[in-house]
Amino acid sequence: MEKNNEVLLKVDHLCQYFSLGHRDMKAVDDVSFEIRKGETFGLVGESGCGKTTTGRSIIKLYDITSGNIYFKGQRIGAGTRSYKDAISAARTDAAKKLKQLRSEGASEEEIKKVIAERDEIIAKNRELIKDAKSDNKEVDKQYAESLLKDLETEYAEKFKQVEGNAEKLAALKKEYKNRCRVAKKSRLITQIQMIFQDPIASLDPRMTVRDIIAEGLVINGITDKDYINEKVYEILETVGLVREHADRYPHEFSGGQRQRIGIARAVVMQPEMIIADEPISALDVSIQAQVINLLNDLRERLGLTILFIAHDLSVVKYFSDRIGVMYFGKMVELADSDELFKNPLHPYTKSLLSAIPLPDPVYEKQRTRITYNPIAEHDYSVDAPTFREITPGHFVQCNDAEEAKYRQQIK
Amino acid sequence: MNKEIKLSVNNLKVSFRTDGGKVQAVRDISFDLYKGETLAIVGESGSGKSVTSKAIMGISAGNSIYEGGEILYDGQDLIRIPEEEMHKLRGDKIAMIFQDPLSALNPIMRIGKQITEAMLLKNKANRKEGKVTFNKTLAELSEMMKKALAENPNASFNASDVDKYIKTFDGFNIQAIKLENSYNEARTATEEMLAVIEELLFMNENRQKVDVVSMLSLIKRKLKGINDKYFVSKYADALNAHAMSLYSVIRAERKKENLLDSAKKLAGGNAAKKEASPETITVLEALKKTAKEMLEQPAYNFFRIGYYVFKNPGADLSKMPAEEANEMAVKFLDDDFMTSFIALEKIAVQYSFAKTIENKKAAIAALESTIAFFKTGKFSEKEADAAYKSVNKSVLAAIDPLAVIKDNIAYTFGGALEREIEKYFFILKNNPKEEARFARQTAKREALLAKGKTVEWEVVPKSVIEPEVQIESMVSVLARVMNKFKNDVEMAESFDVDKRCIEIIDFLKEKAAQVVYKLTKSIAKEKAIKLMEEVGIPQARMRYRQYPFEFSGGMRQRIVIAIALSANPDVLICDEPTTALDVTIQAQILELINRLKKERNLSIIFITHDLGVVANMADRIAVMYAGKIVEYGTAEEVFYDPRHPYTWALLSSMPDLDTNEKLDAIPGTPPNMIYPPVGDAFAARNKYAMEIDFEMQPPMYEVSPTHFAATWLLHPNAPKVELPKIITERIKRMKERGGNHGEE
Repeated sequence: MEKNNEVLLKVDHLCQYFSLGHRDMKAVDDVSFEIRKGETFGLVGESGCGKTTTGRSIIKLYDITSGNIYFKGQRIGAGTRSYKDAISAARTDAAKKLKQLRSEGASEEEIKKVIAERDEIIAKNRELIKDAKSDNKEVDKQYAESLLKDLETEYAEKFKQVEGNAEKLAALKKEYKNRCRVAKKSRLITQIQMIFQDPIASLDPRMTVRDIIAEGLVINGITDKDYINEKVYEILETVGLVREHADRYPHEFSGGQRQRIGIARAVVMQPEMIIADEPISALDVSIQAQVINLLNDLRERLGLTILFIAHDLSVVKYFSDRIGVMYFGKMVELADSDELFKNPLHPYTKSLLSAIPLPDPVYEKQRTRITYNPIAEHDYSVDAPTFREITPGHFVQCNDAEEAKYRQQIK
Repeated sequence: MNKEIKLSVNNLKVSFRTDGGKVQAVRDISFDLYKGETLAIVGESGSGKSVTSKAIMGISAGNSIYEGGEILYDGQDLIRIPEEEMHKLRGDKIAMIFQDPLSALNPIMRIGKQITEAMLLKNKANRKEGKVTFNKTLAELSEMMKKALAENPNASFNASDVDKYIKTFDGFNIQAIKLENSYNEARTATEEMLAVIEELLFMNENRQKVDVVSMLSLIKRKLKGINDKYFVSKYADALNAHAMSLYSVIRAERKKENLLDSAKKLAGGNAAKKEASPETITVLEALKKTAKEMLEQPAYNFFRIGYYVFKNPGADLSKMPAEEANEMAVKFLDDDFMTSFIALEKIAVQYSFAKTIENKKAAIAALESTIAFFKTGKFSEKEADAAYKSVNKSVLAAIDPLAVIKDNIAYTFGGALEREIEKYFFILKNNPKEEARFARQTAKREALLAKGKTVEWEVVPKSVIEPEVQIESMVSVLARVMNKFKNDVEMAESFDVDKRCIEIIDFLKEKAAQVVYKLTKSIAKEKAIKLMEEVGIPQARMRYRQYPFEFSGGMRQRIVIAIALSANPDVLICDEPTTALDVTIQAQILELINRLKKERNLSIIFITHDLGVVANMADRIAVMYAGKIVEYGTAEEVFYDPRHPYTWALLSSMPDLDTNEKLDAIPGTPPNMIYPPVGDAFAARNKYAMEIDFEMQPPMYEVSPTHFAATWLLHPNAPKVELPKIITERIKRMKERGGNHGEE
């Protein structure tokens, strides 16, 4: 596969907090990564570390707390908490300074300078908040408008070509109108689709497979029944089902087939990216391989980009180009999958890798698991850790001392 | 190596009655479970793994039918024993860990209560049962003695002696129980006091708010309860000293508290944190040490001492050290009573045994005639009933009432035969009906087909059992007990009377002890906390009072394991215990199960579909497909030298860390077990399938003495087949590395 360096999705300092009343639960805390076009990005970690939340935040199932998400260069999600925090920090800072200055009997000018500084910061951050809010709100509108504009230019030419032929013009106008209607309703976010973990719970038992697959198209304003049917049949065959299945209900299918329906539902929207949230952990062994093979096929055939969330490391290794390891809401290590398994740097990654069971009894009998105890492993009391690049493409969460250590290790 | 077989499953067949027909979930499987080993059962969902385990636990669904086979544990057939018997085994001897820990725990009960609940209930039931059994056995013994003496006039005893001896035995047993009870009460009080002390120290250490004074008073009350002279013996002075210092400490603490209270009133502020003062802690530590020493001192043999005290009222052996006292009491008992009692017992045992052998011979004759009678196949319901009743009577008469280890085949014979006879007459009635239904449906279907309609439903196959087959199974029940009796009669020469006598006395002693052993709530709590620590739950004392939702998935699974272990079982069945957990927690739980297995010498049946987990846990592996075992062998054999195509398929459908090529997915779905395939069940999904695979079921071929596989590929005439590339390469890699993954 050729290397493609075009960044499709960029997650920038993403934070997702949930309010527990008296305090916040930091489900995802300052996570940044990029996904390139056409690659599979694996996200691993133990349950409750925020993998799924990250996926859901990207697809805007939650309003993110702070940070930015860019998709194809366009900001699709933005949080405001960090700006608000900056404003209140500036206020308290300034108040402290003013108090000190006044007690020292400083000149009027100095005081004014501090106030001006404060106001500047506040104004700047308010602007940012406004931007973020408008981006959050207007992203779909802007996207629709740009689509409309493209259509307009495209059809203006076509209209010119058929000038004079009233019949053809009318047909073209009708087509233009239809496409405009679809364009008006389309949203950028539909370019990202999700596959869910539990194929039983995520399909509506009262809808036929046709309805389930076509629902996204209908919501997007497509009314042409023949076109929809055609699409549904095509996609069913793509995922390895047959046309006759379209009129059945989900309960008539086995687990693997149900997961195929879930995949079909995502793929029918012709997305650029798919977020697969543990698509195989609820399935039986023999069916897991079927679904993995199917996803692999689709990736090659449709050029999909996949964010693959799972806790089964052997599958993630098999399936992904790059892997990010999460621990308690933080990304602790990110690298190419071969690199990560060859040179794990962060102690948590090491412990995770040592826990993988393999079908090899002799190895298993002597495998020792490395335990990870963050309090014993790291001393962050003085120097707080950040996410740093150790070798090209290999990032680790560490502080200065650890960075030096890791660099030593990797040589 | 000759290993002890703990549990053996022979030719088990289980089906489920459903609207669509009979689903054959388990079709004729057999395996043995050795002591201290892990047997893994691997397969897809629907292959019958869980059905097998549930059959062993006796918790199959209501619509299940046992069509044949047996599950032998401890000489009993778990399928045939009544529910009351099963109830005693389930949880006690055979425990199970379920897949989903959250649904296996009660959400509105604290963890501690859930762990102690079974312990306390079992204890209560045990005490009751012990009392009943003790009285019954003693009564039987006395009756047998009298009978034996009546028929044997030249013995040196007479009937009045029997009453005297039995009375003495009962009397001094009561005396012994009284002494032991009092001893145990003191012991319990000590243990409880220790628990309170530990709790107080724990709270103090963790700076939690405690009511020091009331807890100290509780300790004082418990200390007063330690007053058994045998238990206290040489610690009397030490305990007195401890009591004195405890009183003074309580006074000091009370004073301090009053002072603090008045200070609080004056200041109008918050209550000061109540903490024990350092003096209190030292006193408590000293008391704890003494209590621990007392608990560890050697025990008295109250069975013997009871007799001494019974004969010499007012005697006091408590001043003597335990060993000396025991020795003296033993000698006294043997000289004065036991020797002659055992002689008397011997007569009874011999008499009873000889009688049962005679009865067994009679029973064998009766059984033989009954077998012949049933084999004719011509009998009415009434005749069958009469035959059953007479043969059951003679079989029951042939049971030795003095045998401590119960002959379970003979005991369960009546019920089994009755069921089989009932079934026979049901079949006679049901078969014509079933035939008619089948004919009707087939005709209807054919008519519809003739009209050119598409028929989507299929005719439910008829579930007809031939009467001859049923008679066969009736005869097999009879033959089993007959063989057992024949064997007994043959072995009669080598019967050891002395051994039986000692067995009986031990049994009585055990039952008496069972009555005496009382588990209070606070002791149960300490036991539960110990158990929680054993399964690796930190801060068990604090966790004890929490609810299931306050635990993470891994911790919850540990709780379930602790509950399963609370009764100290022999056999542990783990039904996918880690499927709901993620990698790190899974590794921890597997390590825990492995450690406990080693420590307690458990036998484990481990059910899973994850081959990686199996490689870690299993000593031996059985691969199941469509209700049959298709391959079984040791872990090394199955992973390094798999023979069945289904095992290949399973192995090649999961990626490992070095897999890059496309995975070999297993095409299709498992067969519908209402219509099980005629040949090899896996043939339809098997790319190596030959024609014979669709026509005939392959037998089990022996690969090595421990490795078997059911596939025609092992037949000498079969074509040579290459293993899938993905597996051969993996095996090559594994062999090259010799178990050194990830250390390049």
